[in-house]
Amino acid sequence: MEKEAAITVKGLHITYRGIKKFSIKKSFFKLKKGQRETFEAVRGISFEVEKGKILGIIGKNGSGKTTTLRALAGIFSPDKGEINLHGNSISLLSIGVGFQPKLTGKENIYLSGMLLGFSEEEIKKKEKEIIEFAEIGEFINRPVKTYSSGMYSKLAFAITAILETDIMLIDEVLSVGDVKFKEKSYNKMKELISDDNRTVVIVSHSLGTLRELCDEVLWLHNGQIKMIGKPDEVLKEYEDFMTK
Amino acid sequence: MKKFINNIKRYYKYAIYSAKADLKAEVAGSYLNWLWWILDPLCFMLIYMFIAEVVFKSKVAYFPVFVFVGLTAWDYFNKNVTASVKIVNNNRAIVSKIYIPKYILILQKSFVLLFKMFISWILVVILMILFRVPISLNILWFIPIMVTLYLITFGACTILMHFGIFIEDLANIIQIVLKLTFYLTGIFYQISRIPKPYSTILLRLNPIAFIIDSFRKILIYQTHPSYLFLGIWFILGIILTSVGIAIIHKYENSYAKVI
Repeated sequence: MEKEAAITVKGLHITYRGIKKFSIKKSFFKLKKGQRETFEAVRGISFEVEKGKILGIIGKNGSGKTTTLRALAGIFSPDKGEINLHGNSISLLSIGVGFQPKLTGKENIYLSGMLLGFSEEEIKKKEKEIIEFAEIGEFINRPVKTYSSGMYSKLAFAITAILETDIMLIDEVLSVGDVKFKEKSYNKMKELISDDNRTVVIVSHSLGTLRELCDEVLWLHNGQIKMIGKPDEVLKEYEDFMTK
Repeated sequence: MKKFINNIKRYYKYAIYSAKADLKAEVAGSYLNWLWWILDPLCFMLIYMFIAEVVFKSKVAYFPVFVFVGLTAWDYFNKNVTASVKIVNNNRAIVSKIYIPKYILILQKSFVLLFKMFISWILVVILMILFRVPISLNILWFIPIMVTLYLITFGACTILMHFGIFIEDLANIIQIVLKLTFYLTGIFYQISRIPKPYSTILLRLNPIAFIIDSFRKILIYQTHPSYLFLGIWFILGIILTSVGIAIIHKYENSYAKVI
């Protein structure tokens, strides 16, 4: 079978620079021009993910993992380099994709789904499945603001897990809900992942999860790739590095 | 331009659904909430009637209708502009999690406000019937004037949204500017009461004053609006909107980094 790339990233650079907020009041009192702060969060990373494969990203806090993920999701454009998704649809699974707290869970399913680019009919078909999976029962017809934080993330997970996109980006959500839901979502993840057409990128600090789920692990350190390869090798190095 | 059409095609359903949801959420808060959509302009109308008729002793024919028309158009413009300055910040939850063309947020807000304006226009019609305002065929101008109002508002909002992200206290400045514009728009007095050269200048340079004046002309005075200026503002509205959209297309990817 021919190997087909789903995500190709070439020399990705992302900088947070100069575009700091500016206030007219502040600039009155501070006539000296503030220095432009530049912070390079991601400095030239390149990698490729094959279709149907699972890539894990590890690294300590502030190493650029989330920034990379957001760039993949198209929330910011790269300052340098390019990202090619080969025409696949993509969604970032993160806790609460912009829920409207005053609306009911059901309405929020539609809102989130439509934001992800699904039509109303498509969502309607999946609605029941989402509600069942989220297992929040009666609460689906109540405003989201009355939800506990667990229910909130359960619903968010269910929406992105069931409304399937070609590429899923997962940011630390495997630790959602109670023990039972955790196991269930973990199994759902595995099921989604076992689908040969789905490409997944997971950011996580849980080495166990990554070891079990991923085909490949990318270790980011200060915005650069420290290592990329088989999970066992990379994770072992990472563990040694972190406990040093 | 092509990108804009594609984006609108892809997201307008979301904008409509989300606008409906917003309205529903407002009603869901309390059962009386929708009453405020009517009570709010009604109360302001009474206040301005008091100021104008009792304090300043001005005599304007069909005064309640006169004020209400002004308030309806003004409220739409005012609320859109006020909301758009902070709109990206207020939707941080969405903007930082997913890509969405940022003017869809303005579009969504404008749908919510269009609906509220629609209610307000119904009240205008009721008032017109109550006060037996004669009508003429000029009323058909309503549609082009509405389109012009929409375009100018949308254009102004896209540009203000862009600057609102980078300038923290733009909202305060806009509040002051809007207050000034409010008094220079002649909502509760006839703008022609301002001494001569200034009133003409205002009517020509302040698009909202012009639009409100045109609405009054067609609804109350059975005349037609100035074709020339309606055409000019229509074109300016399109230009404003295109500039705003071009700016947003160019810079929207950095928005998520700033908020």
